[in-house]
Amino acid sequence: MRKLLYTLLVLILSGGNFAWAQEADQRDPQQIVGDAITHTLATLEERREEFAADPATLRPLVREDLLPLLDLEYSARLILGKAGRGISPEQLAAFAEAMSNVLVNRYSDGLLRFRSDEQVEVLPAKGKNTDKLTRVRTRIKLENGGFAPVDYAFHKTDQGWKAFDVTVEGISYVITFRNQISPRVQADGIDKVTADITAGNLKIDE
Amino acid sequence: MKQVRARLIILVLSLGGVVTGCSSQPVTLTDPERDPWEAYNRKIHAFNMGFDRAIFRPVAKGYDVIMPDAPQRGVRNFFRNLAYPVTFLNLILQGKFEDSLTATGRFLANSTFGVLGFFDVATKADIPKFDEDMGQTLAVWGWKDSRYLVMPFFGPYTARDFLGRGFYGYFHPISYVAREYNNYVPLVVDLITLRAELLPFQEEMESAADPYVLIRDVWLQNRQYKIYDGDPPAPDYDALLEEY
Repeated sequence: MRKLLYTLLVLILSGGNFAWAQEADQRDPQQIVGDAITHTLATLEERREEFAADPATLRPLVREDLLPLLDLEYSARLILGKAGRGISPEQLAAFAEAMSNVLVNRYSDGLLRFRSDEQVEVLPAKGKNTDKLTRVRTRIKLENGGFAPVDYAFHKTDQGWKAFDVTVEGISYVITFRNQISPRVQADGIDKVTADITAGNLKIDE
Repeated sequence: MKQVRARLIILVLSLGGVVTGCSSQPVTLTDPERDPWEAYNRKIHAFNMGFDRAIFRPVAKGYDVIMPDAPQRGVRNFFRNLAYPVTFLNLILQGKFEDSLTATGRFLANSTFGVLGFFDVATKADIPKFDEDMGQTLAVWGWKDSRYLVMPFFGPYTARDFLGRGFYGYFHPISYVAREYNNYVPLVVDLITLRAELLPFQEEMESAADPYVLIRDVWLQNRQYKIYDGDPPAPDYDALLEEY
């Protein structure tokens, strides 16, 4: 049964990513983040009422926009750490997929609460940026005039630059999830944890 | 949204432990390097959670019900503005003289045009905000790493930041009023308003796999972020992978 599910999963994923697999993304991380923000916000404004009425309709669109930009398996490996020792590539992929759903749903629901008087700004690059780690800094201008800083960590892959971590006010998605999840994996095993995340029994929040 | 939530979580964490939910006592330390006192810390954490459930949260809920959003924001702005003496002094101690002038300008603008600080006109005018305290100054002076320490009622600290809080208490107007006039009303109101800001995130906080670890990680990471004025070094991702 699990094997069947996994095969289905791979089919769905490869279907969605087929176009991307053909050609490496040539854009640099700054551009990728800028384009993604512009495109997602445009979609949001266009159909805001529809999404507000049924938040679930936004999720597949966000998924389509977001997933090609992420290196999910790399994130998953960082989150698992030594708890991931000895797991199969299929188990890693299934775990990464479960995590991606959590991420997409949260991001999507967050977007709906995003008001049009708030703006996102991509800030100029700063510090040492390499192929292994390039940080894109953005900030969201909030309605009260303050800012919420959100940074994205990218690395270079065969398919171009891919993001693997998000940091909000210094709080890293990878680090925070890792400390929540890796003890569970060590105690219960990867399959149980993946199933729990998918079923919503194991909630992971920043 | 998510970003706002993180900000709010941090706000409350800086003054009181506020997440409910009990976690089982682990036999092994989850972060021996930064949290060697985990066994003790978890006990205090559990105590804080109980206090929050019984008293702190219900009071904050009451406040949230009777007070509309706009005046709530005003009260928060008022208290934030009052932190100016602490911010100013620590900017000086860290050698950030130019910023100390900006912080003074912000305080003056908000105290006058902003009607005693109830309106944050400085932020609307793009005057940057500073968040400094003695714990951060000690870190800038070289005390980079310090052990995580949960205090009864007050929640997350490190040994360094708890020491720093003594200075904070000395120079903060609210603590001054409490000390010199034995009037704890402003202090209590400040805490309640902070707690009220976090109410919308209760459920999400409760449902974490391990709330104790969540609070610790969020607090320590955000602390680092503040010490480096919003530009901390990136996590050592390679070290995470090496264990794999």
